[in-house]
Amino acid sequence: MITRFQIACKNLLRKKARTLLTLVGIMLSSWVLVSLLGFNRGYEQALNRDIDNMGYQLMVMAKGCPYEAATMMLQGGTGLRYIEQSMVDSIVNKPEVDKATPILMQAFFDPDKGDGGGIAGYFGVEAATFPAMKPFFRFRQGSWFHDERGAEAVMGFEAAELEQREVGDMILVPGKNVQLKVVGILERTGTQDDGTIFVPLKTLQKISATDKITTIGIKVKNDADSAKLENTLYQLPDVQVVSFTQVKQTIMKLIATARVMVLSIAIIALLIAMVGVVNTILMSVMERTHEIGILKTMGAMPGDIFFLVWTETLILCSCGGIAGISLALVFSRLSDILMRRILPYSPGGELVAIDSKLAVMTLAVIVVVGLLSGIYPAWKAGRVRPLESIRSEG
Amino acid sequence: MMTKDAVSLEARGLTRSYHRGNEEIRALDGVTLTIRRGDFVAFMGPSGSGKTTLVNLLGCLDNPTTGELELAGRSIFDGSKRLDEKALTRIRREVFGYIFQNFYLIPTLTVRENVALPLAFYKKPGVEEEVERLLKMLGMEHRMDHLPGQISGGEMQRVAIARALVNRPEILLADEPTGNLDTNRTAEIGEVLQDLNKNSGLTIVMVTHNPGLARLGGRLIEMRDGKAYEN
Amino acid sequence: MRFLCTAFLQIFLLMAMTVFSAVPALAAIGCDLNNPDRDVPRLFPESTSYKTVYISIAKQGGDPLLRKIENRLGRANLPLYAPIDVPYTLYEIYRDSRKVGYIHGVNQKGQFGGIQVFMAQDLTGRIKTFYIQKISGKSAGKLCDTKFAKKFAGISLRDFDSYDPVSGKGTGKIAEIINPIPEMETDFYGVLRGLKKNLVLMDEFVFAGERGKQ
Repeated sequence: MITRFQIACKNLLRKKARTLLTLVGIMLSSWVLVSLLGFNRGYEQALNRDIDNMGYQLMVMAKGCPYEAATMMLQGGTGLRYIEQSMVDSIVNKPEVDKATPILMQAFFDPDKGDGGGIAGYFGVEAATFPAMKPFFRFRQGSWFHDERGAEAVMGFEAAELEQREVGDMILVPGKNVQLKVVGILERTGTQDDGTIFVPLKTLQKISATDKITTIGIKVKNDADSAKLENTLYQLPDVQVVSFTQVKQTIMKLIATARVMVLSIAIIALLIAMVGVVNTILMSVMERTHEIGILKTMGAMPGDIFFLVWTETLILCSCGGIAGISLALVFSRLSDILMRRILPYSPGGELVAIDSKLAVMTLAVIVVVGLLSGIYPAWKAGRVRPLESIRSEG
Repeated sequence: MMTKDAVSLEARGLTRSYHRGNEEIRALDGVTLTIRRGDFVAFMGPSGSGKTTLVNLLGCLDNPTTGELELAGRSIFDGSKRLDEKALTRIRREVFGYIFQNFYLIPTLTVRENVALPLAFYKKPGVEEEVERLLKMLGMEHRMDHLPGQISGGEMQRVAIARALVNRPEILLADEPTGNLDTNRTAEIGEVLQDLNKNSGLTIVMVTHNPGLARLGGRLIEMRDGKAYEN
Repeated sequence: MRFLCTAFLQIFLLMAMTVFSAVPALAAIGCDLNNPDRDVPRLFPESTSYKTVYISIAKQGGDPLLRKIENRLGRANLPLYAPIDVPYTLYEIYRDSRKVGYIHGVNQKGQFGGIQVFMAQDLTGRIKTFYIQKISGKSAGKLCDTKFAKKFAGISLRDFDSYDPVSGKGTGKIAEIINPIPEMETDFYGVLRGLKKNLVLMDEFVFAGERGKQ
């Protein structure tokens, strides 16, 4: 006995090329849709992860025009304005603060970094207070600085790989001609720290001929009121307070427009694919008018014909959707690379996060939209009258 | 279940008119006839004579403009009643099987699947074995897994006949069943229909241009200008 | 106003952290030319176009090929660093439709950092010239000088049969090249080791296959 599902499958196989092209259309739009939905989710997850991996929730830095600072930074200048290191003491005593650590960020121009030179950046940190902010740091080789004033450096995983450094090797601070000994190389963290070179704070201050710092990293106590602390910190003279929750919200707001736009594009792609489905099924119904008439003479009700044609739509959308989602999963790494090239800022980790729940939800959307699109051709097929479809002689 | 000689179809004053612009065209003009169980009725006539229109009305493929039609004593059309497609389908699947000049087999289904196709939509009790039995009876058991593209025209019409009979209809309607066949195949199909009528008691209502085929039946009705004349 | 400044500052901060990183997190540590449109004509003035091809040891021959290359290089002294599936970038250089040579880069350990050595080779496998894209330290000036690179024109892998860049001992054309920065021996030998690594990799990736076809 043949089932209606088998009849629908075999109907689709009658025009293989047409069915295949329609499937490809649905597949491509599904691929785009699930990748973009995966990006929407993955970006936020990756951003959360990056921010969590910062180790501290708040940063205090000097007030100043960020554009000017950015320009100076990119040209190899000293970058951000400075704050007094003594400010750390006033902050660490606040009741909401768990830990605080001073950081000096410096950039030096390296004329030998590519044609025309490039920037080499360094983080000056205290071995006594900074590691406590990053408890998840693990060392591949070596350890933190032995001497807070030593000519030493700890390198992130990828920084060490690029420079082909091991513990015991030397690096040179460009422009200052200062040699530092690599004492530790970190395991990969999947964050910006992988590309960072850490130097003892005092050492970097000496190299830069300053006793100031650029930022203070603050870890807030678990039960503390972070907003209240922020307001308190704003009372300190000449400082800005950056909350990473706010950073995340700001970034998400900035990319919200882009997200809406790309999602719209994905939805348009899906709708175009569905137009293809409607066209395919409608053409198929037109070509099979005689047969549909015959099916009715055999006892098929209008509803039977409707569901038969609707089943063809269901098969097309399901197969196309599953194929597209599978491709998105297989090529998620490639999509990741593509997104990173396009975005001005992208956090570390997986940018395109497609899990089973998202895959199922996307498939459901595709199938539902497909079934809605398929209503008209199925209805048209159900309305075929056997007499009109069979050739008559008067 | 009708008894032998019971009336299968009774038509009284059937007319069917169409409008072409302001002009009314009467394809069928007050046809009255009776078809009994076991009859083999052939309708002949020139193109436009109304033979196919009449057979379409008898086979509940269409509603008449005026007139009455009874099926096994049950009134189907009585002038005031007009049946929708669903109602017509319910009647058709209980009573009629249809075969046409163009066979209309589904090209992607095998012979077996084509014959079983009506059962996907409606199945009378006890017809599960009919597919194999009919194909064997019509000499097609060696072609069950072939596609329509792999068999001859005559074989395709046999498959169409098997499909039309799988739900054990009371009446077989055949509209130019040999129109696309050569002389030899025409004779074959003629024999099959005659055999079904004589041995299975199947009522057959056939439209044909072929006088030889028409003579196989017990009754010949000629159609001219929408009227029926029985020899 | 406070919010606006804070908002911009926050974004700037995150971007600045990207700048401060030596490389973006999770970027591939491969050897690509920073600006191939500019660098290819510099190394091959006669070229009209180039094609970028990616080769991975995993796909080219898998573990057996990796072991063969490491044995030819001498695992301890000229390690490959990268995992087996990381792609190597090869630039095929064309003059009109005719291939005229190759450019390929490797990363080699130097005194104060990695040295990226890009080698330009003709179709026979001989060095035409080379270009140091990255080097740290004061040796940079002399080693990046084109006059130094010219001394290597015509050298092939065979020349390294009689000269070991790891020990610095041997005879032949390479032994005759004088170190322009005697106080920075590590970088000088780093360049030589980088060239040998380049030649071995190119021999395995390209020229071995061409010999097989003949």
